[in-house]
Amino acid sequence: MIEQLFLVLMGLSFGWMVLLALIFFSKIKLSENFLSQAVKYYSLIVVTVAFVLFCKTWIHSPSVILLDYNDWITVGSYRFKIRSIVDLLGSSYALLSAALISIIFKFSRNYLHKEEGYFRFIFLLSTLMFGLFVVSFSRALDQLFIGWELVGTASILLIGYFYAQVQPVKHAIKAIISYRLCDMGILAAGAWAHHYLHTTDFVAMPTMLAHAHHGGNALIFIGIFIIWASLAKAGQLPMSSWLPTAMEGPTPSSAIFYGALSVHLGPLLLIRMYKYFEHFPSLLIAIAVIGAVSAVYASLVGRTRSDAKTMLAYATISQVGIMYVEIALGYTNFAIFHIFAHASLRTFQFLRSSSLIQDFFENPLVQQNTRINRKLSVESFFSSERKRKVFIHALHGFHLDYITSRIIAGICFPFKKYMEMEDEWMKWDNNFLRKLFRKGPL
Amino acid sequence: MNFEELLKRIRTRLPIQNPLHTYVHNNILLMFENKDFHEALSEASVLYRARPYWQLFRYLEKFEEGKIVEQDIHDAIDHYLGHYQNFTPFLDKLDISAKEFSYRLMFSDIAFETDETVADIKQDHLWELCREKTMNTQIVLSRSLRKWRAKDYWEKYHNENVVLSTQPYVIRLLSSYLDQGQSFWTNPFINKGLWSFFLYDLDGIKNFSTGWQKTLITKTKKYENATTQEIIEKELTEMGIPQEEWEGYLLDILFDLKGWSGMVNKLELEPWQATVKSPSLKLTDYIAILLLVESSLDTFHANEHSLDLSVIYGRAENLELHSYQLALILYQMTIQFKLNERWMQRLSPEEIFQVIDGLDQAYHVDKIRLWHEAYEHHFYREALSAIVGHQQHPMKVVPYAQALFCIDDREESIRRHLEEVDTGIETYGVVGFFGVDMRFEGIKNQKLIAQCPPVITPSRIVKEVNAHDDHRKPSDKINKLLGASGLSLYYHSRTLLRGFIATLILGTAAIFPMFLQVFFPKQSQEFRKWLKNLVSPEPHTELIIDKGEGNHGYSKDEMANIVLGTLKMCGLKEPYARLVVMMGHGASSTNNPFRQAYGCGACGGNAGMPNSRAFAKMANDEGVRIALAEKGVVVPKDTHFISAFHDTTTDEIHFMDLETLPASHKEDFAKFKLHAFEAAKLNAFERCQRFSSPEAKMSPELALKHVRERAEDLAQPRPEYGHCTTAIAIVGRRDLTRGLFLNRRSFLVSYDWTQDDADGSRLFQAVIGAIPVAVNINMDYYFSCVDNDNFGCGSKLSLNLTGLIGVMTGSQSDLRIGLARQMVEVHEPIRNITILEAPLGRVQKIFDSHPRLRNIMYHHWTRVAVFDPEVKQWYIFGQKEFKLLNTDRFNIKHFHTSKELLDKIHNDENFAEIGDD
Repeated sequence: MIEQLFLVLMGLSFGWMVLLALIFFSKIKLSENFLSQAVKYYSLIVVTVAFVLFCKTWIHSPSVILLDYNDWITVGSYRFKIRSIVDLLGSSYALLSAALISIIFKFSRNYLHKEEGYFRFIFLLSTLMFGLFVVSFSRALDQLFIGWELVGTASILLIGYFYAQVQPVKHAIKAIISYRLCDMGILAAGAWAHHYLHTTDFVAMPTMLAHAHHGGNALIFIGIFIIWASLAKAGQLPMSSWLPTAMEGPTPSSAIFYGALSVHLGPLLLIRMYKYFEHFPSLLIAIAVIGAVSAVYASLVGRTRSDAKTMLAYATISQVGIMYVEIALGYTNFAIFHIFAHASLRTFQFLRSSSLIQDFFENPLVQQNTRINRKLSVESFFSSERKRKVFIHALHGFHLDYITSRIIAGICFPFKKYMEMEDEWMKWDNNFLRKLFRKGPL
Repeated sequence: MNFEELLKRIRTRLPIQNPLHTYVHNNILLMFENKDFHEALSEASVLYRARPYWQLFRYLEKFEEGKIVEQDIHDAIDHYLGHYQNFTPFLDKLDISAKEFSYRLMFSDIAFETDETVADIKQDHLWELCREKTMNTQIVLSRSLRKWRAKDYWEKYHNENVVLSTQPYVIRLLSSYLDQGQSFWTNPFINKGLWSFFLYDLDGIKNFSTGWQKTLITKTKKYENATTQEIIEKELTEMGIPQEEWEGYLLDILFDLKGWSGMVNKLELEPWQATVKSPSLKLTDYIAILLLVESSLDTFHANEHSLDLSVIYGRAENLELHSYQLALILYQMTIQFKLNERWMQRLSPEEIFQVIDGLDQAYHVDKIRLWHEAYEHHFYREALSAIVGHQQHPMKVVPYAQALFCIDDREESIRRHLEEVDTGIETYGVVGFFGVDMRFEGIKNQKLIAQCPPVITPSRIVKEVNAHDDHRKPSDKINKLLGASGLSLYYHSRTLLRGFIATLILGTAAIFPMFLQVFFPKQSQEFRKWLKNLVSPEPHTELIIDKGEGNHGYSKDEMANIVLGTLKMCGLKEPYARLVVMMGHGASSTNNPFRQAYGCGACGGNAGMPNSRAFAKMANDEGVRIALAEKGVVVPKDTHFISAFHDTTTDEIHFMDLETLPASHKEDFAKFKLHAFEAAKLNAFERCQRFSSPEAKMSPELALKHVRERAEDLAQPRPEYGHCTTAIAIVGRRDLTRGLFLNRRSFLVSYDWTQDDADGSRLFQAVIGAIPVAVNINMDYYFSCVDNDNFGCGSKLSLNLTGLIGVMTGSQSDLRIGLARQMVEVHEPIRNITILEAPLGRVQKIFDSHPRLRNIMYHHWTRVAVFDPEVKQWYIFGQKEFKLLNTDRFNIKHFHTSKELLDKIHNDENFAEIGDD
């Protein structure tokens, strides 16, 4: 029963995504009304199936269902199998995704009314949904990568939703670079795991680890790569600076990606791999440190931000940082609960982000000519001079962009030198040729 | 020119930018009103880098649809040539009349933009002649002599983009500095000035900066003890910009971030407009920062690429045309303007270039103006013929109720429906604050809200108090508690540890309200109201209008003056009816940063409810009535004033303070109420024709349900269409328009010329209260509509509220000005036409006497038409004076009721006759 439900869910979301893609390429123009009606029924069905699946797995838990299907790829005698895991973690994240995306579908019905990009928007959200289902139920890193990439692609295309303007496009590029850098982590971890453990199965990896005859210290790198891979999506340090600038698309897309579903893929991946990390206490410490530093960092920077969306982005980073700490401490179930609570709250806050003026003005405490006193904050511990210092640095995001650019510049230094040399040589070449032919510039 | 003078001139050019909570419709080119409309637009379009008319294809579409016909084109050309006779000084060389030239120009398609070979050239004699005349020549067009800033070079040739490099830095400083309490940490520098914040900030980033920022730091260090004014002067001198160009250069820089510039200017000049409290601000500081940033960028790039800045400054990029294209233009011109082939034979090359240059001007400037004029003319013709030809319908019975609505164009439809539903009701239009110029303190908050038009300084304070319980503020504690929890929820859910706790507690709970608000907006709102009422019930309140300490309240005599002024201004017919209903209006929407823009403009964008309550209370007061009698106005004992409120979004009507209603009037009131509700329902139905929701168009009942849902929907970017399509303002008796369907396009100001003195003092009050407002609203919509990205706010979808003062697009951008795209998408950009029913002499005198009225009439920011009832003659203001109006009769449709019209033609008609005869 659970397996059938799982297959229905995957098939449904995949079929819907492909259908929309086909409609797009066949250049059929769907009326907005028809499309939104179809979306309504689709999301109703998906949420129902996801809910039933969730209930079933809950009843069935703590035992999990492992599904093995045919080979995906065979290279020589090496076989990549399609493997899925249907457990409480996966089905509950799938339910969360289905429910929140359905809310966003309904929200955008009015919000994106008369909008040219309505179809595109719906298609990208459908892609997101399928991608999230893949990530939720994959049992192997290689498979998870598909979902991971679909989510990333949808995210980037929605940041660049208003592609006629400069800023959204540039910020989408910033996001894609961060994503790509970290996605290499999954690929590297996969390759490493195939090499040393002969599997990337989340369930099998920890057990294989115990029996691993060789590799030794190399095995820790799988963990390092996985942590690295999780950083971009979760916006943790040092990959934090793209997230606040990603708020360029329509509000509901910012809500669903950076308030709710995409950012939590980082913690989700770590929870999936938790059994593996347990073998390496040093990795757990690393996760905790990254989380804690990111949380404090984002919370300090967020305090100086005065616009609704950037502020929420930093608040999100800081809560996800706390989730990292929770996972490192072993409270994975608690972290799951935290993800759920956080995703719902942030989505709501993003959707309501235009109500702030109204909220403040209907508030009987807000008066003209007096600022609201907020005594209970960290700033009361600082002297006024230090407060100012912290404020200025926080305002500039503790110069994260500067530091990153210096590091990248350091890495690129040899290439830059080489390019300069080449330019010089070209100039020489040019002059030489010009002299030779006595003509204008080439 | 000294610096003060320069600053003053710059201030007048910046956009008028209010914090969003005090949004008022303004003509954003208010300071250009002393120039002719088209010239002002040309000038502004350079500053705003915006297109001041629709794109050409929109007008051509209208032409195809028959919304512009030949007649309009001819009228428009005549009208336009009346002012711009000389826009084509080279006509004598072409042997063509100005009129014909203009006509051909409108339909011409000449290859100024492209340098490609056009297929339809016949290799004939003409083409050879054109080639011959332009062989081996080139010409620099005078239209294109625009000075470049060095920035433009970096952007074009050196891969620079200020949107991503210098602007984010400035915006970050400003948005933090101007923040009114949205961020958790208040900026610690707000009392020290923007400049010292800037210096401190530079000190903070000195170890973490590259590129132009490094240059900025060294550059600023040079000016250690200089004032910002000196810095500006020195920098400009160093850049080698001649003093007479300073204004233009600084404006150019300021308009890079026009919204922020406007806001800084506003908050410096009127700090009380700030949402909470304005920080200490100086435009000079701000200009100095922008200038230093700009010059640092220039210096940085100059050093980087070893360029000489003095060569780059002040260079202009010219538009050059070369021989082939010149020949092409001559060829196309000869054919399209139907010129004699030999016209160019007698001309010297210089003269030919003059012609081409002149044609270029006309093609790029005058063509679109002509189309726009033609588009407007069609509407004016239609409107005037409908109103001129309309048979007056005087009241047939003595009214039992007189209802005073706001002049607002959105009230036109409900007035019409009310009159149709009940012929015993007479309606009037009067400026919606009813003359009560007060600051109002509501029972729930401590803030004083100015309830009058922004041009008036409120004189008195009126308080709302609990009617029982010794005027104590009820459930104060609970309110404060709710307020405190709301604030702490906002701030603390975004911090680290408190955010953690808040997330855990509220997070899972948030999904339910979110689900309800997204899927069942109306029900969830009702539920919230019910819950709120349970916790802190709405108290039964009254207003204290009597004279108290300080400037609280009014004396009886002052009240009598207010009542008298309003009733006389709208010419309320005596004897007054048994019921006089004061109908204020407001709007309700949620999750909408522009909520204030939908309110009652005459009440400063707030709801008009307190004003209508205060007015009714004054007019019912025994003492006031005695004072009125002394002034010669007898209000019958039988007359009772009722305060009411119309919500233009939900079409709900509320009646307030009904406990003072005498038992004898109950029956009449019940009848009025019933019919008012019926009219509101029909009004909702009429409004729904503009929304593209099919279910809303089926019946008035469903329409009413639909509009209520719109107001409560978090996801609704268009709770209502506001003033969209507004284009007319009619000042006169209702008899002029009763029974005429005006499609919610007209302000209706009641004025009775028979009740006025010969000077027209009442007319002056009516006009000055209404017409500038109508023009402001019309122009605000006009600009946001024609170029929404540059004159307006852009799409609502990615707006990001900042500092509680304004909105940015996406994560960071300029503070947006104007209205959002979704708010103006059904608007038609037509200048307002003002139609007055009054003796021509009075009108002329009034418009001549007041500076703003003079400007808007003589410089064509509004068209003015007058019906002189003494001689029964129509006049219209042409280019410089009034002339007799001759209208041709449009075929106007006739319907029994407005409902029938709506059922039959679905909003295609602007004007129609309504009535049984």
